[in-house]
Amino acid sequence: MDSRRDKRYFSKKKVCRFCTEPIEMDYKNVDLLSRFITDRKKIVPRRNSGLCAYHQRQLATTIKRTRFMALLPYTVLH
Amino acid sequence: MAITPNYYETLYVTRPDLQEEALATIQNKLQDSISTNQGEIIKAEKWAERPLAYEIQDHKRGIYYILVFKALPDASKEIEKHLQFYNTDILRFMTLKITEEAANKSKASQEEKAPKAETTPAPKAEEPETVKPEITKEATTEEVIVETEANVETAQEATTTSEEGGNQ
Repeated sequence: MDSRRDKRYFSKKKVCRFCTEPIEMDYKNVDLLSRFITDRKKIVPRRNSGLCAYHQRQLATTIKRTRFMALLPYTVLH
Repeated sequence: MAITPNYYETLYVTRPDLQEEALATIQNKLQDSISTNQGEIIKAEKWAERPLAYEIQDHKRGIYYILVFKALPDASKEIEKHLQFYNTDILRFMTLKITEEAANKSKASQEEKAPKAETTPAPKAEEPETVKPEITKEATTEEVIVETEANVETAQEATTTSEEGGNQ
């Protein structure tokens, strides 16, 4: 039963991009960070971003810094 | 225990219509406060002129300048005091403590000079040489020294993100 369920919901396991690829999280790298925000400019949750806990935390602070410097918007309502 | 100098990176945004002399006086003050604190400037240049993500004091565009320096901790305080004083010309500023490797890398990228038009394709390519990305990553963006006006908004954002995290 359980194994069948596992098969049905099988999907490719996501691996954290920042762990596997040699990219650095930098608040000035707007192109990279804009991939981790939604249409409504919210920070993408871990289940969608596929990042590990450590890098998701880093991402959140980095995006907030980027927003403060007016490189990314806080909302779509500006 | 003597206080040792640290590496800092300051990014500040000016009004797009700021006169050159006004900018020069501000930049001279920043230089003075670094040199009086046993510091040296590693990199000081215009980073980009680009539209702001949201209006600040009715300005829709801003010019970004970057300043990387090594100095005693007092220098960063002084620099922020100066930038705060000119807050009609300086729309936003932020100083972060960075690692020595990150500072040296920014120096190297300045010497190349040519391929640094947009945000960063170049540093990405350089990255594999330095290996241990995790350690540098950790330290580069660690300690925020000032994020003045953002505090309120940041707090709000923090709550929303933590909620999202809890849903999983």
